[in-house]
Amino acid sequence: MNPGPTGRSGADPHAGSAPAVDLRQITKRFGAVTACDGVDLVLQRGRIHGILGENGAGKSTLMKMLIGLVLPDEGSIHVDGTPQQIHSPLDASALGIGMVHQHFSLVDALTVWENVALGEAGRLDPRAIRNRIGDIADHYGLVIEPDAQVGDLTAGLRQRVEIIKCLRRDPTIVIFDEPTSVLTPEESLQLFESLRQVVADEGRAVVLVSHKLDEVLHATDDISIMRQGRVVDRMLSVDADAPTLARGMVGREVSLRSERAALGVLVVDDADTVNEKAHAEAAGDAVLAISGATVRAGGGILALDDLSLELRAGEIVGVAGVEGNGQRELGDLLSSLISLDSGSVTVDGVRIPDGRSGAMAKAGIGVIPEDRHDSGVVLDMTVAENLVLVDQSNVSTRGVIDQRALETFANEMIEQFGILCAGPNAPMWSLSGGNQQRVVLARELAQHPKVLVAAQPTRGLDVGAIEYMGERLTAAAEAGVAVLLISSELEEILDLSHRIVVMHSGRIVGEMDRSAVKLEELGLLMGGAAA
Amino acid sequence: MAGLVEAIIDIFSSESTYINGALFAAFLAFAASGELVAERAGTLNISVEGMLLGGAFTSAIGYHITDSMLLALFTGVAGGLIVAGVQAEMSHRLSADQFVVGLTLNILVFGLAGFLDNEIQPETKLAGKWEIPLLSDIPIVGQALFGQRWPFYFLYVLLPLTWWALFRTRWGLELRSVGENPQSADVSGIDVNKRRRQSIYYAGFTSGMGGWFLIFGQVGLFEDSVVGGRGFIAIAAVIFGGWTLRGTVAGCVIFAGALSFRLSVQGLGYQVNSELLQSLPFIVTLVGMAVFAHRVRAPAALAQPFIRGLK
Amino acid sequence: MTAPRTTTQGTRLGEWIGLYCLSVLAALVLSALLVEATGGDWRPVVNALLDGSLRKPGRWGETLGTAAPILLVAVGTIVSGKAGLINIGQEGQLLVGAAFGTYFGFLIGGPGPFNLVVIVLFGALGGGLWAGVAALLKFWRDVPEVLSTLLLVTVGGQLVAYGLSQSWLLLAPLGDRGNRNQVSKQLPKDNRLPRLEVFGNEIPLAVFIAILSAIVISLLLARTVWGFRLRMLGRNQRAAQRSGVSRTGYGASALMISGAFAGLAGAVMFAGGGFAFGNYQLVPGFATNIGWTGLLVALVAREKALIAIPVAFVFAGLRTGSSFVGATGVEGRITDVIQGFLVLALLVPPAVMFLRDRGRARAAAGERA
Repeated sequence: MNPGPTGRSGADPHAGSAPAVDLRQITKRFGAVTACDGVDLVLQRGRIHGILGENGAGKSTLMKMLIGLVLPDEGSIHVDGTPQQIHSPLDASALGIGMVHQHFSLVDALTVWENVALGEAGRLDPRAIRNRIGDIADHYGLVIEPDAQVGDLTAGLRQRVEIIKCLRRDPTIVIFDEPTSVLTPEESLQLFESLRQVVADEGRAVVLVSHKLDEVLHATDDISIMRQGRVVDRMLSVDADAPTLARGMVGREVSLRSERAALGVLVVDDADTVNEKAHAEAAGDAVLAISGATVRAGGGILALDDLSLELRAGEIVGVAGVEGNGQRELGDLLSSLISLDSGSVTVDGVRIPDGRSGAMAKAGIGVIPEDRHDSGVVLDMTVAENLVLVDQSNVSTRGVIDQRALETFANEMIEQFGILCAGPNAPMWSLSGGNQQRVVLARELAQHPKVLVAAQPTRGLDVGAIEYMGERLTAAAEAGVAVLLISSELEEILDLSHRIVVMHSGRIVGEMDRSAVKLEELGLLMGGAAA
Repeated sequence: MAGLVEAIIDIFSSESTYINGALFAAFLAFAASGELVAERAGTLNISVEGMLLGGAFTSAIGYHITDSMLLALFTGVAGGLIVAGVQAEMSHRLSADQFVVGLTLNILVFGLAGFLDNEIQPETKLAGKWEIPLLSDIPIVGQALFGQRWPFYFLYVLLPLTWWALFRTRWGLELRSVGENPQSADVSGIDVNKRRRQSIYYAGFTSGMGGWFLIFGQVGLFEDSVVGGRGFIAIAAVIFGGWTLRGTVAGCVIFAGALSFRLSVQGLGYQVNSELLQSLPFIVTLVGMAVFAHRVRAPAALAQPFIRGLK
Repeated sequence: MTAPRTTTQGTRLGEWIGLYCLSVLAALVLSALLVEATGGDWRPVVNALLDGSLRKPGRWGETLGTAAPILLVAVGTIVSGKAGLINIGQEGQLLVGAAFGTYFGFLIGGPGPFNLVVIVLFGALGGGLWAGVAALLKFWRDVPEVLSTLLLVTVGGQLVAYGLSQSWLLLAPLGDRGNRNQVSKQLPKDNRLPRLEVFGNEIPLAVFIAILSAIVISLLLARTVWGFRLRMLGRNQRAAQRSGVSRTGYGASALMISGAFAGLAGAVMFAGGGFAFGNYQLVPGFATNIGWTGLLVALVAREKALIAIPVAFVFAGLRTGSSFVGATGVEGRITDVIQGFLVLALLVPPAVMFLRDRGRARAAAGERA
């Protein structure tokens, strides 16, 4: 069952000793859903192990068990040959298991060293912590200022803090959970270099959890593919190729370009691409024009910096860029959630008052927000209510809501968009993430918007849902809607857009037609280098 | 007009203004320092009023039974801790709404204290004055800061203790992280609600002491109106001070100033309508909040209950 | 992905009822113990409470009359609560409303029914404006309304007391004062809120106004676009902002409506309260904690206007009953204590059920405690 001792890193000095981590028959159920089903997984020292699977395959749950956030229903975890019970992150830390979290581990208001110190026991010794940060910085090339406030740091630097926080405890097993969503292609490569260094040292075992095929293919030594809670295939990375991995991930032959995009395969030089995405001959003026938009954030930083953008009917414009470069603010602006310090937004030539509640929506701008729980849905209201959140005029007469009209409308939408729920009166919180997203989509499209803004629309969704969203966005564009796709997933942008703009530090730094895309140039722009 | 200016100068140069001001400020500071800790942990603890009154009452009872002011301190703190216990357990273990619990506690403590006061009628008196040599001779403020009754000086220990606990210990670091980003703290292995409960108990501890100070260091007797809404001014002081310790103390001083101003005005024989004057500290509090609340940063998770899995 | 339901609907309802009964019982037992511990006997206290609130002739009418302003305050609180605002200044808004009603009532004068309408309208206006101060502070300067409404209670009290000391404001002319210093003129008989005679009980019109308000607000919140958008604001402010629900517009108006209901309560207390409420004269301390009680009723009724009706009645019963308790030798304040224990006890069942459901779901999920 164990892969042979030779791998990318050459002869494995630890061959024959107990594996760092041995997961045996791990099973986990959440009610009727089996998240992990009899998973066997072995992590060897000195090797980078990639766990590949689409969203919902069970890889996050598996790692949560390793890090002590969830308890397995069945099976056992062996660390260095000894069976262990991991009940909390502190237990995991004591066993030498550390995880570099994606989002929820840093406190913005505290400094770097305070964040690094968080979660341990024992006396607080700022000097010792600062020294340790310095040591790690030197050793791994992860330079950071210990007294900087985390809230002021860029996404890439925050990840650095996360890594330092993890490495500080001297873990022997390090888990990286989807680390590249906040990084440019350049930075991702740098990260993988660091991973090599991490692994080479003292024979650590590194786990790279990802839904991106290309990444896993190139950065790991061993690969385990998970699908629907099971490990369906294991192989050495040298022996793997994209089609095999793709097949493992979705369980069938993968040929559609959009599917490959959804799996994280960058498709650039495909002949189909150029033909299909022939530039929309939309005539005339821009439907949406953002001109010189500037938004000042706290601390003197400009979240949006003289940003200008135009959208024509029927075209899909993809806004590429690494998270944290103003995309959220752009989405908020078009949702009437923030006001401009200068600049303007016009729809069909008419200027829309920014920051005034509901103005953007009324002007015909539909939004699928980055975080649906933040501004997209009201969890405590019913599905039907969420479907009429923005405009109740169709289901009400003279200010009174017509319950029957509401239900009829809701049922129509549920049917049309395939929303899985207990009915129009089901509370929103009872729906899965994908279905909640469908509710948002249904609501926005039902308004017959002129512009549709889709911000990170497929985050956290499985392949099927990703494909569905892509189809819907394409259909909307074909029906004449101007679609603005803001996404940090380059694959998605390349798959769907007619025209691509790159966003960095709050402004548009480059623009190209889909047919003329050069990946290197794109990467450079995303990283902030001039084209 | 000249009369008015004269009057103001008179008031500001009179020692009694500062002595009264220091007393009020100290009372507010006892409560506010604990409330600061509670709010930095993300809880909005409006049962301060009840904690103060509870502490005042139990310390009065303690003295009534034992004739020892020092033991009364312990019973006072116990009283504050009991009220804190109900608040902490109900709102941060049982997840009941913290405002409802806080409000109800205030009313309940008020009713209980009034009811039992009638039955028991504890006898109390003021503590003796301790004049600190040399320092208490400083003109104008010397008596106010160093010539008070001995319970006053406990504040000089409590404030540095609070600062140290909040900013120099791991406990304080975890507490602050819980008030800023409970999700991150949770993922880092910290028990969010446990820290929040502890912060409320701390507030109970300081407010219990504050209640004891009120009886033995300032007023000398117990009645159910002895706190009279000033617990809420302590909360306002925390906000006014931008959730820093320095700012909180400044807030206490300013709001106390308004309270003592009124007394001085009357004490020095000037005639001003008493009702309007009585509302002065509260109006100053409102204005203070209006001017400053905008510019300061509250703990990001203030007043947001934390329940894992619900984010 | 929810935990499998291991209990049926019926059992669940049974659990709720059981928990509530247990909590209420605990509160009552605790109160009884307190009475015993201070040398009293709890049985006569219970009897006195029942006599005072229901049994003795004319008492349940009195209880209804007391429940009316409490219910009005509660309904107002529910409106601002649904909008996500925490208004705890009802006591002050009530008083200022009563003062407005009194002042303008005497100022404008006029025949009975007309004068009555004036009093009531200005009462609502006064309360609404007082809450408006807090709304201004919140939406212009970000002052938390939980604190501003609270501080305004004291300020309001002082202002009204001041008004009652000045003849040009509220103070009655020298001859009409009786032996009190700060008191307003008394409302003449024709201008008082009429009462209905039912089985020997007098039920003021205010009761019907209050119950009607509860029903109307309940319908408005559940069935109208306004109610829908208000609830949206309370649940998710950002989604509301996107959807055209202006935080300032809806929020400020909700807060002012809340104050208006409290002011209305004050006005009907003045114009229809009879002996229990100052005998048609305004005095300092006029509000007698009706504002606080109304707030608690709204919270206990978990912001459901229709449930607030019986809850208001129970709390009113405690008040009217308490006036009979003094005669048993036990301090009348015990009812404040009973009320406090009751409210705390009523907070426990929802908390326990919520935690138990989550505990079950999490045990099924195997997460750490």
